[in-house]
Amino acid sequence: MLTYAFKRTLTALPVLWIAITVCFFVLRLAPGGPFDGERPMPAGIKANLDAHYNLDKPLIQQYAIYIGDVLQGDLGPSFTTEDFSVAEQISIGLPYTLILGGAAFVVSIVFGVLAGIIGALKRNSWSDHTLAALVLLGLVIPNFLMAPILQLLFGIELAWLPVGGWGDGSLRYLVLPVAVLSFPHIARISRLMRGAMIEVLASNFIRTARSKGLGSTPIVMRHALRPSLMPVMSYLGPAAGYLLTGSLVVEQIFGLPGIGRYFINAALNRDYGMVLGTVIFYMVIILILNLIVDLLYAWLDPRVRAQ
Amino acid sequence: MTKLLSVHDLHVDFATEDGTVNAVRGINCYVNPGECLGVVGESGSGKSQTFLAAMNLLSNNGSARGEINFKGQNLLDLPLKKLNKIRGSSISMIFQDPLTSLTPHMRVVDQMREVLKFHQKLSGAEADKKCLEWLERVHIPEAKRRLRQYPFELSGGMRQRVMIAMAMLCNPDLLIADEPTTALDVTIQAEILDIMDELRREQGTAIVMITHDMGVVARMCDRIQVMRYGEYVEEGAVDDIFSNPQTEYTRMLLDAMPRIDKPRLERKQPVTAPSKDSFLNVDSLKVEFDIFNGLFARKNVLKAVDGISFDLAKGETLGVVGESGSGKSTLARAILRLLPVASGEVSWLGADLMGMGKNQMKDARQDLQIVFQDPMASLNPSMTIGSSIMEPLRIFAPHLSKEERRQKVEAMMDRVGLPKSMINRYPHELSGGQNQRVGIARAVILSPKLVICDEAVSALDVSIQAQIIDLLRDLQKDMGLSLIFISHDLSVVREISDRILVMYLGNVVELATSDALFEAPQHPYTKQLISAVPIPDPVVERTRKRLKLKGELSSPLDSAARLRFMPSKSESLSAAQKSDYRPKLIDQGDNHFVAEHDPIEMLLVDE
Repeated sequence: MLTYAFKRTLTALPVLWIAITVCFFVLRLAPGGPFDGERPMPAGIKANLDAHYNLDKPLIQQYAIYIGDVLQGDLGPSFTTEDFSVAEQISIGLPYTLILGGAAFVVSIVFGVLAGIIGALKRNSWSDHTLAALVLLGLVIPNFLMAPILQLLFGIELAWLPVGGWGDGSLRYLVLPVAVLSFPHIARISRLMRGAMIEVLASNFIRTARSKGLGSTPIVMRHALRPSLMPVMSYLGPAAGYLLTGSLVVEQIFGLPGIGRYFINAALNRDYGMVLGTVIFYMVIILILNLIVDLLYAWLDPRVRAQ
Repeated sequence: MTKLLSVHDLHVDFATEDGTVNAVRGINCYVNPGECLGVVGESGSGKSQTFLAAMNLLSNNGSARGEINFKGQNLLDLPLKKLNKIRGSSISMIFQDPLTSLTPHMRVVDQMREVLKFHQKLSGAEADKKCLEWLERVHIPEAKRRLRQYPFELSGGMRQRVMIAMAMLCNPDLLIADEPTTALDVTIQAEILDIMDELRREQGTAIVMITHDMGVVARMCDRIQVMRYGEYVEEGAVDDIFSNPQTEYTRMLLDAMPRIDKPRLERKQPVTAPSKDSFLNVDSLKVEFDIFNGLFARKNVLKAVDGISFDLAKGETLGVVGESGSGKSTLARAILRLLPVASGEVSWLGADLMGMGKNQMKDARQDLQIVFQDPMASLNPSMTIGSSIMEPLRIFAPHLSKEERRQKVEAMMDRVGLPKSMINRYPHELSGGQNQRVGIARAVILSPKLVICDEAVSALDVSIQAQIIDLLRDLQKDMGLSLIFISHDLSVVREISDRILVMYLGNVVELATSDALFEAPQHPYTKQLISAVPIPDPVVERTRKRLKLKGELSSPLDSAARLRFMPSKSESLSAAQKSDYRPKLIDQGDNHFVAEHDPIEMLLVDE
């Protein structure tokens, strides 16, 4: 298992490199630079700045310097926030983003799987149809619309929950952003789970379990659950990616101090170092999550373990 | 005598999109304590559904009416909670496909334990002891280790033993066995049937044996109930039914089953011994697959076909038999170059088939056709059967007009016994037998010289099987076809073949004319195979003795397994020599070839 994890990590490195390279050059191709403000800077100061950040060197040399730094674990300086390096800025925003994303991840899985099981067991009943309707809502309403609706309803009309901000970091501040972030994933996961569960419940080994006299709880929990989770697992990798990109928008709307906000500002300000640093960081997180998903596969299916 | 289980006027209906299907229509039957009832019928007879209904295991769209009495309770009216006390405890069930019938992600011991926990509140060491005891009673080798294993780590025969052990944990009064040996090789089938017979004698468990195989019935049952289209046909003691069937249908079922102990139904003039350089010559053909275990582990070479040579004459039928894993299907595919060949030569009409270029090979394929096992899965579901049969014409006879092609297809459909009106139907609208006729029509429409039938009748009911074999024989007579007929079913192979090749783990162990092979088999493995085939005659079956050889069919990855029938040689060789040594094929004269082996007395299991 350890060798497998190691090998997977090795194969992920070229992917990471390609992503960095593409981002690096696409960013430089975009018009404007970090020091192009509304009012042009005196030429001398700009030349000094460019020299300080190596922007006066040929592009390919800048690229070589950057890759060299990254290989040593240095994500470089931020171009627009003078006092912080990229790594420092990420580490400031990181706890917020991780709490938000992690909570949304867990909520998506728990509620998605539960809704899927209920849908499969109570097939074509009113609860199944209600869930299907909710799923449809979750899939069609984009998060930038869902967020203001929920803010209006629960934050202002009912005044149950704060409209935004991190406040004291208590649970109340998390409820709405996590709901917005996880709703579409609960929807997708519940559909996947329902379909898989219905198929598994019709399989021969479930018939055997019934013939042994087992009640429906042990049949679902011991025999049907694990094989039904397979398609959900394969969705979790991409879901992690969607959660991170979704968190950019959600952090912005709810005014949360996570990485997302820095990332958007950095992209608008052409803060090359910050954008690239965040991209690398996100990619690493997604790669790690995908690795965990693969290891979970092995837990779900002993045949994978044997290979 | 009080009946253990009695079924009164049972109806089972399935709600489908095409309306209600009446699978069982008013069946009455009963099981006496301790007896073995055979429930016989072809697919669609409702034999399985009758007993699935008794266990409340019908699929979601199914419903049952009537009465099924067990110990004074009507199982159909029982609330699920009460029924669950009976299922798995007083009545238990085993199924056809032991791989998919066991939960793949649970260890054997966990699946067995939950039965004890639910029905007898046993757990811990006490439960484990009982599980182990039962695994030993069904003769699982290394039972203790098996407890910790997952189903996929066990062979098919072992999985079915686990199913039986699990079903027997609570000493049920009734064991319902739904085609328990249909998916297994004959030697394994014989062992499983022995175990079930033993349990019945020792535990007094009544058995319902649901099967299409009259041989299994003759071997196991006291009484038979015959069913057809969900209706009762006849019922009676096994000897009466076999010796004096009252209905036409039962007689037909019995007659359709080829018997290895009787002369063949139709003898054609055997094709004279093939001359060399004639038609198809296969020389030392080898097919190997690389198997990777673990990531950095060495690759293992699986020698699926390990140096096979034979010749085939024009118009001859060569039967190829062997158990699963013997490499018979791989051999077929390799000859047609549907698989990469490791080494060896195949010459076809004097030309080197393996060395042909792409275009040459394409031309050669006109004359080399194959019919596969699963007729439904081998046809493209999105093509009408007419266009499936026509496709070879499109490729190889592009000069024909659309109308000419259609005429040819219709003529061919007529020839294989399909009504012309079916030309625009899709495979899912046809029965298995009809689909196999489509497969055959597609294969022979170009008038090929050689057709390979890879388990072509194995998935079909016996009556249909007989019809398809007749069809193949007729086509052979008319078109002068050569056939390679691959099957695990010895009695079917015997019916159709001039000569038979017996394979074991990728090697030939015996090659002889069909009559010689069955009348005077030489190799212990051939003898064992023949003795394991059940004969549809209860009187004969009772007195037959089955040969039990040491060891079981081992993996083709185990290179020393090829010396299973030569323990004397195996002892005298070093490990490296063992993996290289192949028993030599010895000419016994009269076209009878036998692989070297020790005398059978050395190989028998001591009893």
